[in-house]
Amino acid sequence: MGFVVALAAAVLGAAGAAAPSELSDQLQASLARSGVEHPVTAVLLNFRSYDTLLEIGVLVIAGMAGISLASTNALEDPALRSADSLLYALQRWFVPVMLLLAAYLLWAGADRPGGAFQAGAVLAATGVLMRLGGLPMAFIRPGILLRLGLVLGFAVFLLVAVAGALNGEAFLAYPVTIAGGLILIIEIGLTFSIGMILLALFVAAPVTDEHEPEEGGGL
Amino acid sequence: MSQWLIAGLLFTPLAWAALSLLLGFRQGRWLSWLGMAIQMAVSLALWFAVMEGGGFYYALGGWNAPLGIALRVDGLAVTFVLLTAAVGTACGLHAGVYLDADKPWQRYFWPLFWFLWAGLNGVWLGADLFNLYVSLELISLSAVGLVALGGEAAALRAALRYLFAALLGSLAYLLGVALFYGRFGTLSLAVIDQLLVGGEPALIVALLLMLAGLALKTALFPLHAWLPPAHGIARSPVSALLSGLVIKASFYIAARLWMELGDRLGSPWLAQGMGVLGAAAVIWGSWLAFCQPHLKQVVAYSSVAQIGYLFLLFPLTFAVAEPVSLLAQQGITLQVISHALAKAAMFLAAGNLILSVRSNRVKALAGVSHFLPFSLFSFGLAGVSLMGLPPTGGFAAKWLLLQASLASGQWWWVVVLLLGGVLAAAYVFRIYRASFLEVSNSDDFYHPPQSLEAIPMILALLALGLGLVAEPVLSVLALPFEVVAAEAVHP
Repeated sequence: MGFVVALAAAVLGAAGAAAPSELSDQLQASLARSGVEHPVTAVLLNFRSYDTLLEIGVLVIAGMAGISLASTNALEDPALRSADSLLYALQRWFVPVMLLLAAYLLWAGADRPGGAFQAGAVLAATGVLMRLGGLPMAFIRPGILLRLGLVLGFAVFLLVAVAGALNGEAFLAYPVTIAGGLILIIEIGLTFSIGMILLALFVAAPVTDEHEPEEGGGL
Repeated sequence: MSQWLIAGLLFTPLAWAALSLLLGFRQGRWLSWLGMAIQMAVSLALWFAVMEGGGFYYALGGWNAPLGIALRVDGLAVTFVLLTAAVGTACGLHAGVYLDADKPWQRYFWPLFWFLWAGLNGVWLGADLFNLYVSLELISLSAVGLVALGGEAAALRAALRYLFAALLGSLAYLLGVALFYGRFGTLSLAVIDQLLVGGEPALIVALLLMLAGLALKTALFPLHAWLPPAHGIARSPVSALLSGLVIKASFYIAARLWMELGDRLGSPWLAQGMGVLGAAAVIWGSWLAFCQPHLKQVVAYSSVAQIGYLFLLFPLTFAVAEPVSLLAQQGITLQVISHALAKAAMFLAAGNLILSVRSNRVKALAGVSHFLPFSLFSFGLAGVSLMGLPPTGGFAAKWLLLQASLASGQWWWVVVLLLGGVLAAAYVFRIYRASFLEVSNSDDFYHPPQSLEAIPMILALLALGLGLVAEPVLSVLALPFEVVAAEAVHP
């Protein structure tokens, strides 16, 4: 209780004071050179792109840890499919609309709220719906395709990052003239991989039966 | 030149993580050997470059702080980058032989290993509060993944506890970061340091939150309960990485915060309180290490104890003269390095012993001294450094801390330093005693490959020799650092 009071006092105290840094002025001044018009996208994918690169790494780790615990068979279990014909019919309407929505969100990120994270989440939701409705999804088996899908967005981002360094600039520096195009390419890759990771985590929920015994047999 | 080295240092672990995810364990091992060689070369080159030319800020993406993220490449950071390369390479080489390559889940070992490495480098070089948070998350999640890899129910339980502790710690830290951002409108630690005038209550709460979260992630007594199960049940090369490097990352952030902001936001009772918790960790952790029936639990509880010494940094640098503070900082730095080397050696040697007697129990070690003297000797050498006997790095560290305690008039820490050494001797000798017992019918031992035995020996020798080269290692702490922080506020 005392902690809550102290925290509330701290938050109110911090909220009352004006922030002395000129960060927002700097942001407005540099926005034109970022390649996108929306400040959030500019911060996430250009000014503070290193954070985003590492965050995608965190997502890849989560996806990887999820599928490393999953048993091979449970990922695409026909017994878990539903056979509801109404659901099936609804899906044929929903899935294309949701894919379109994901594409729109991705594109909108350049000048209004939107971007790879939101689009990826919609993409994953589409996958979850397809899975619950019983559409077969062979690609979600833990094979090379799934792992490639998990890591694709991260790999594209990393290649762009190192291209800047090879160009003699800093790591993650984009040339101003093509910054917009590069950010779009990164976001397309990220949307796909974020969707894959979230879907893999959903699908991989059942845990493997086979185990590695503890070192020394736990004796 | 340094620009290329930084790019290589950041790129290699991330790229190797992505590539090794597409390969199996054996191909990943080949790839990782190459990656470890590159990281070692780049880290060495960067260390020498900073020795020659001093430290500097590296603006990622070409955007200066506070708009962008800058990396702080100073003497301490490159020393820890080099330490990570040394311990990481040793654990990677050991794991390549030690882990069962035929198990399907081991293919995920290399990607997790490389992500962990990337996160560690991110923390050493971080100068931005939120970027440090992201690097910590990278470390925590890959560490949890490594603990859980293919494990049985007990391992999953330990991994889950570890995950909850790590997440709670991260959240507390993030809450503190949010308070700082709300007050100053920037995440750059250097800019906050410039703008901070006095101890406002809101900011003191923020610092307390961050220190509490980081102490939980470092497993400071009494928040240590998650550590022994997780470090004890992970595969030995993973335990070595976790105890040697991972818990140091969160401590490093706490130490950086304290050194930058502690003079204005700290208080004597906070400094002494952190020291008392550290002292309690030394005594309680050592005693529990002495009581454990399982070999790896002994080593894990020893980590709880050794972590305790690090928190003496808080009382020994608060409101003391500049030279005393420098002594304490040098002592803590040496303690981090020597514990990383010694504890990694100890866990790897323990793994070899377990492989040989096929049991994790201390009692099962009876007679192994005839059969695996080399691994047992590495274990003992690492133990000598933990006890703090000359000429090891552990001794040099304790000597500096002892001087700092006496010079600042805080004699009570001397008692902790001496008692901790005696208790460390007790739990190391207990393992030795068990392994020298002569029991009949105890010649049924498996002999691990020689490469597995050589790696902990090299690490233990490095920990031993650290005391002799302490002078040049510590000189990097006093290197000149490029002053761009003032310019960063008005670019």
